[in-house]
Amino acid sequence: MKKVWKWTGTVFIVLASLYLLQRLLAPKYAADVVEGALIAEYYSEEKDHDVVFIGDCEVYENFSPAVLWRDYGINSYIRGSAQQLIWQSYYLLEDTLRYEKPDTVIFNVLSMQYNEPQREAYNRMTLEGMRWSSSKAASILASMTEEEHFLDYVFPLLRYHSRWSELGAEDVKYMFHTPRISHNGYYMRVDVKPAENVPEGRILADYRFGDNAWEYLDRMTALCRENDIRLILVKAPSLYPYWYDQWEEQIEDYAAANDLLYINFLELTEETGLDFSTDTYDGGLHLNLSGAEKITEYLGGVLRREAGLADRRDEEGLAGVWEEKLAAYEQEKERQYAELQK
Amino acid sequence: MKKVLAMTMAAALFLLAGCGDSERVIDGNVVNVTTGSQAEETTGEQESVQPSRQQEQTAATRGYVFMTGGVTVEMDGDMAPVLGALGEPVSYFEAASCAFDGLDKIYTYNGFEIDTYPAGDTDLVSAVILKDDSAATVEGICIGDSLDKVLEVYGEGKQENGMLTYEKDGMKLCFILQDDSVISIEYRSTAL
Repeated sequence: MKKVWKWTGTVFIVLASLYLLQRLLAPKYAADVVEGALIAEYYSEEKDHDVVFIGDCEVYENFSPAVLWRDYGINSYIRGSAQQLIWQSYYLLEDTLRYEKPDTVIFNVLSMQYNEPQREAYNRMTLEGMRWSSSKAASILASMTEEEHFLDYVFPLLRYHSRWSELGAEDVKYMFHTPRISHNGYYMRVDVKPAENVPEGRILADYRFGDNAWEYLDRMTALCRENDIRLILVKAPSLYPYWYDQWEEQIEDYAAANDLLYINFLELTEETGLDFSTDTYDGGLHLNLSGAEKITEYLGGVLRREAGLADRRDEEGLAGVWEEKLAAYEQEKERQYAELQK
Repeated sequence: MKKVLAMTMAAALFLLAGCGDSERVIDGNVVNVTTGSQAEETTGEQESVQPSRQQEQTAATRGYVFMTGGVTVEMDGDMAPVLGALGEPVSYFEAASCAFDGLDKIYTYNGFEIDTYPAGDTDLVSAVILKDDSAATVEGICIGDSLDKVLEVYGEGKQENGMLTYEKDGMKLCFILQDDSVISIEYRSTAL
């Protein structure tokens, strides 16, 4: 009996040590590269969203769920991450459906340009934040570059052991808890850098989206249909990377063939009131807060009209949750503006 | 018990040791950048580079390089001396990557564009794109030339989806074709 306890204790110590080591060595996405924290933040949210956005930086930097609630009473969340590839968006949607069934899913189509896995660093930022499920496993398998290994995702310690020489105070500080960086998945920036000299797209040999990208868009459309979810395709108004007319045509055709609403915000600058001399913080790649609020305001009207989403501001519980969220949103806004004026 | 603990310690040391130069995922530098001069040997595709222009290439360069006004632009080479020699571009654009530090930069000159990517404190050349027939490759091909002429100069390359590609020393020289005529020429790094 004593031997059994000894062995149990030993195994516990070994596992606990490895766990602590992993917590210490894994990136925290708290002090820098904070976008890596976005995917995981979803799981601690209440899950009763009317709208869920999925996609790359063009969703989490360009749309503000706070505005959808404040002005339309629409409860939304953005499951976006940096360079989120379309198969990652698909599996994030699958993952989301394990927790809730939104009325509407909004997918940003820029990632259709990628047909193959791209970069491990971006893969990690999307995949590591997902809770384990068959969707996460499938997403990893679909996303890995040739140099990556599935086991490294199962045991991140195998991938991050070399970080021991780079460890800083933040790795200890945020070992078990990282601060929330988003507002329902929206990453706020209030600074301004006007869009100037935005280059035209370079000539491509082939403008057709790849088979793999199409397959996942088909799967996303089918998944939404099976679950009675309205899928809306959007192209955020980011000026760069360049959105080609040939790409636009393919998405328009797909939307028409599948009876989907498609909104290209690049064509709606007048209607939304976007001004790229004031509404972007990085020269036209992403919108700042004022830009995001403008296009979200427009989107709210579309959702009300086209998707018939109800105003839920009279729901006491939800209104209470949002009261806190809006306070945090305003606080962050003030903090960033104050920082700018220093 | 002691044996197990010792083995655990040994395993931990094994995990932590000897990995100081591996890729750093958190910083996004997951690609071990290989500069032109460090790149692997040519893959052996056919070449028929014009001797007189080839001599103009500096001995240290590898892969196909772009030359303009006596300035050599090499893939994955440092942009600073190139910029110093070429002077102010007609147009300049910089794009922050999603999430990571550093800027991808685009310098547009008359007839061509140079793109760079950040690597530590320096900017390395990721691409050169010839925009019109005022610029030509070192080997004498420019936009508007025929597919036959490209094949004559460079030999057989990899042809796929309207693009003819020559890979050499960790870089690619790509000719985009339409109706058997060159409509775009790109030098590309393969480090990204």
